[in-house]
Amino acid sequence: MRPRSSWHPWALLGPTLALLALFFLVPIGVAAYESLFSWDMLTPPRYVGSANYAALAAHGELLRVALRTLGYSVLVVTGTMTLGLALALLLDRPGRFFGFVRASVFSAYVVSWVAVALLWMWLLDGNSGALGGLMRVLGVGPLSLLGDPRWALPTLAVVGVWKLTGYAMVVFLAGLQAVPRSLLEAAALDGAGPGSRLRHVTLPLLAPTAAFVATTSLVTSFQAFDVVRIMTQGGPARATELFVYAIYEQIFLNLSVGRASALTLVFFLLLLAVAGLQLRAGRARSGVSR
Amino acid sequence: MYRPGVIARRDLLRAWGSSIALSPLACGQRSRPEHRDGRLVVTFWYAYGDLVRKVMLDLVAAFNASQARVFVEAVHQGDYYECLAKLRTALAAGAAPTLSHVVCEVVPYLARAGVLEDLGGYEGARALPFVPALEQRGTFSGGGDPPLVSIPFNRSTPIAFLNGRMLDEAHVAAPRTWDELVDVAHALTRRAANGEVRWGFEVPISWWYWVAMVGQAGGRLVEPGGRVSLGGEAGEKALRFWQRLVRTERVMRPPPGRDYQAWQSSNESFLQGRIAMMWSSTAYVRYLEQNARFPVVAAALPRDVRASVPTGGTMFVVLRAAPDEEKKAAWDFVRWMCDAEQTLAWSTRTGYMPVTRPAVERLVDRGWYALHPNDRVAYDQLAAVAPWPWAPELFRVERDVVEPRLEEGVLEGVDAHALMDEAREEAGRPA
Repeated sequence: MRPRSSWHPWALLGPTLALLALFFLVPIGVAAYESLFSWDMLTPPRYVGSANYAALAAHGELLRVALRTLGYSVLVVTGTMTLGLALALLLDRPGRFFGFVRASVFSAYVVSWVAVALLWMWLLDGNSGALGGLMRVLGVGPLSLLGDPRWALPTLAVVGVWKLTGYAMVVFLAGLQAVPRSLLEAAALDGAGPGSRLRHVTLPLLAPTAAFVATTSLVTSFQAFDVVRIMTQGGPARATELFVYAIYEQIFLNLSVGRASALTLVFFLLLLAVAGLQLRAGRARSGVSR
Repeated sequence: MYRPGVIARRDLLRAWGSSIALSPLACGQRSRPEHRDGRLVVTFWYAYGDLVRKVMLDLVAAFNASQARVFVEAVHQGDYYECLAKLRTALAAGAAPTLSHVVCEVVPYLARAGVLEDLGGYEGARALPFVPALEQRGTFSGGGDPPLVSIPFNRSTPIAFLNGRMLDEAHVAAPRTWDELVDVAHALTRRAANGEVRWGFEVPISWWYWVAMVGQAGGRLVEPGGRVSLGGEAGEKALRFWQRLVRTERVMRPPPGRDYQAWQSSNESFLQGRIAMMWSSTAYVRYLEQNARFPVVAAALPRDVRASVPTGGTMFVVLRAAPDEEKKAAWDFVRWMCDAEQTLAWSTRTGYMPVTRPAVERLVDRGWYALHPNDRVAYDQLAAVAPWPWAPELFRVERDVVEPRLEEGVLEGVDAHALMDEAREEAGRPA
């Protein structure tokens, strides 16, 4: 259908574009501007040029935050997808028992992040938690996963995977419902075993579902804040300081709007790059070219 | 076409547009005081939990019951740092409360921003008989006579708590020097066959305790000329001592978590008998005494080349943006809280230091310190207080520059000299 006038598409897009500009482009622009100032919200801002970026980059801290965030996301996305797919394949069966297990796995997803974080803090408590008890029984001695800089981030990633796996499982289950039975039956008649049917029929047909799960898990993992705030406050030794928490810490705890704005802008560019790569990968997969 | 009772899309758009247009007005400064049931309302943002919160709310209720003109509305705003974050945003938005309390290191920053009321001209303000180590006087870096912008409220110092039963079993006394601390921590540490450890010593890896050790090692954070030296060699020595206790001697466990989560974790471990000795705040004296199933022994922090402790806790601040009538009413409440009776109730029920001399005199007269030797230790330790070098950048240096590096040094074993060099360089950068 062709528009009657050249401005009609713009008129239809207008409200959305206006909201996008007001709540997204303008704040990013404001953050970019404020990143050039030293400002604490209460005293007059002072122009410092790129000093905020230099301060963040000094001693490799900015790079460490970016790598930490990417590392956390990789762990969460791969863990969520692998476990979600495995559970979907295992639980894609009729019957009350399987329904109960599916509901149980999914229930973690509907619980708030704060409740999940508190639950896991109790479980991981080296003194009185389940992990502490298990370690004592095994004679391993106390283990402080959240207090050890080497283990704190992977531990948070495990919590993230535990929370998001139910969601991934449900989406994969929906994807499995869409796999035509006739194709699987035809493959079986041709002599394909369960492994071959999974590899050559099911998984290729699940690719769009997997892309959707990957994207949503990635977005959620990049937004990680509550779990960090409750469980580690970015510690120990900044080992769990992810981008969103680092921004919060700079602006609200360290009183530095300029550095928080600089971090926001870098985070935005990082997300843009990741989204660009994902888009490109998606286009390559679907054979779209320009 | 207009239809009664039906909200048209155009009406919704109009309402939305109006709300956006009017929103800047909501950020203006409050000019009219708030009244409720004929009483002037003073909004007081506070940051306490548990026992301290209960005691404070009891005092607020007593004040409200004592007169018919003012009503203090106490509003909980999370922990100290959450309360500060909310206070700053509220100040920026012109929606600040009348009264709040903030950690000492933040006062110079807020004072420079010009958001604190000068209380010097309020009735009796200059004559309040504060304990010298706990009041604002003498704390601002560079000396001089800055305006009176903060009144001591819940004040404390770091202090050592020891499990009396474990001390008796090991036949050791509270350590008085750093060397003795190592020996006593060794004597109190127990390693079970299943790998479980009862740690001899625990202290949160936190700026406050490091500042105490910097002072004990003979250093100071800010030099007389205003240069932030972070204690120089003493700052490094303090960090190295922690590294030695954790990594070489293996008699100290840094608690998990940061800020008050770490403090709470230490308290719990102490009460459960999983650690024998810890450094904490005098604020926990009563809480620990009431909840421990063993005698709690308080001791002054050990010395290196000298005895030294910083003060902690918070100061009352009245926000300049509030209407004059509310500020005057807030001052009435603050002054009431500084009366000996209230100071005594606050101090004896919580463990915070009594902030006025008449309150201390009454405690002595009543024999309180003879009955509560742990409180006596806390009070006597005030003789070793090193005044804060209050500078506007102090809070940022604490949160952004020093604390993360202390953790890196202790938990990852990074060289203390390199870390403190970095910290000094970072402290000199603009925020």
